[in-house]
Amino acid sequence: MKNPISIGLAAATCLSMVAALFMVFVYVPTEAEQGIVQRIFYFHLPCAWVAFLGFGIVALAGGLYLWLGHKVWDDLSYAAAELGMLFCTLVLVTGSIWAKPIWGVWWTWDSRLTTTFILWLLYGSYLLLRAFADDTDGIARFAAVLGIVGVLDIPIIIISVRLWRTIHPAVLLTRQGEHGLQDLRMVATLLVSLAAFTIMFVWLLWMRVATLRLRTRIVRLRRTLALRELAEAHR
Amino acid sequence: MLEGFGPILRKDLRLEVRTGESTVVLVSISVLILVVMVLAFGPAGARRAEVAAGALWTALIFAGTMGATRALLSERESGCLRGLLLSPVEPATIYAAKLSVAMIFMAQAGIAVLVVLVLFFNLDFGGALLRLLPVFLLGIVGLAALCTLLATVSGRVRAGAMLLPVMVVPLFAPALIAGSKASAAVLAGQPLGAVITWLKLLGAFDVLFVTAGYLLFEHVIFED
Amino acid sequence: MDHLGYLFAAYSIIFLLIGLYVIFIGTRQARLEREVRRLESELRKNEPPLAPADNVEEIKTPGGV
Repeated sequence: MKNPISIGLAAATCLSMVAALFMVFVYVPTEAEQGIVQRIFYFHLPCAWVAFLGFGIVALAGGLYLWLGHKVWDDLSYAAAELGMLFCTLVLVTGSIWAKPIWGVWWTWDSRLTTTFILWLLYGSYLLLRAFADDTDGIARFAAVLGIVGVLDIPIIIISVRLWRTIHPAVLLTRQGEHGLQDLRMVATLLVSLAAFTIMFVWLLWMRVATLRLRTRIVRLRRTLALRELAEAHR
Repeated sequence: MLEGFGPILRKDLRLEVRTGESTVVLVSISVLILVVMVLAFGPAGARRAEVAAGALWTALIFAGTMGATRALLSERESGCLRGLLLSPVEPATIYAAKLSVAMIFMAQAGIAVLVVLVLFFNLDFGGALLRLLPVFLLGIVGLAALCTLLATVSGRVRAGAMLLPVMVVPLFAPALIAGSKASAAVLAGQPLGAVITWLKLLGAFDVLFVTAGYLLFEHVIFED
Repeated sequence: MDHLGYLFAAYSIIFLLIGLYVIFIGTRQARLEREVRRLESELRKNEPPLAPADNVEEIKTPGGV
């Protein structure tokens, strides 16, 4: 943790986060229709973006692990899944908090909500697998396959859920203010938040991968020690 | 390329004909799930077709995961898996054979469920059931492909048998939506043309997972 | 249209969860670092005959079975 890249990333995260918070709470004008809760959106969408980014990295790193066989790809994949789960949870929670004053309910089976929830379940099953299984090469390969298959499934999930909801449309307020960012200051705020979250994601990923690398190293040290004891015993 | 496909398939089917274990387990589990659904929702009412379709797919999904777990566990316990891996048969061929076996077992369970379904929900034998067939078959292909690929984890992980449904349900979600919606429409008397979008979706799901399984199976099947 | 409470809740949950996660990583990292030091000193203790553990290269697993 005490290396320059990590410290640099931490500093960049803090700076950009402060800038984003300033823009969200001071700079940006309040949206006319939804009022002050609309400001949740400036952190809600970036959470969704990094959650998706996490999913992409799980599959990509999983594929690289299957191809190249180097443990660092597996560690990257695991770390990305954990972060993805964290931000996916945040998307659901902040979305819920936003929905309550606007729609009047905490949860509705709207197509985007449903899709996010299914993705959350996918992440959850991946992490459960990791939690229950030992850290063997076999399980790492299995997890890589699960990650790849999960990401390939996402487009089908999105299409099916969208069709599912258009056939039985939700009788609720339509979502507003999501695209119609009328004011240029709103767009600027969103972009700064997106940048802040992306930097934070990279920083967290960096730290988590470092931890997992350490875990891998411990496994190897233990193996070396055990081998040595065996050799001593035979001498 | 598919050398060894026939023998594996024959071996599994012969084993099944002799013991009948999988059939008994799968059929009884799926019928039980159906009974639970009927008791919980009641057999009559305006939404009869939807409840029946939901019951059908619930039964299939859980019977399917259990069946796949069982098939691979017994394979591992008997040491047959090690033999297969040592043989020159390609992993993709093993996958194709196992997928076929899983599909046959699921189809059996599905037919049993359908018969019970018709009786419980007072549906008509005939046109509606025939139109249900393509929906049902497309669903089974995807489910079997998915379960066969992921069931290799059972026996290697603590609580592996429980983990399989946890992994399968979210992945299968799109096919579940498409399958149950299409089944409900067909059971309510609509023609197949009305559900063509769902059928296409099921088809896309099947193509994706059969291909993925065929290509990736070599990475998940091994002995620790 | 005063929903300040909701706004506050949303932002505090974001920072609470991320903060907890950072703490989780930090403690995990510290514990693992201690463990590595312990194992390394143990390795040095009964060292001579074999190569030091740090020279153990990454173990690559082949892609296939």
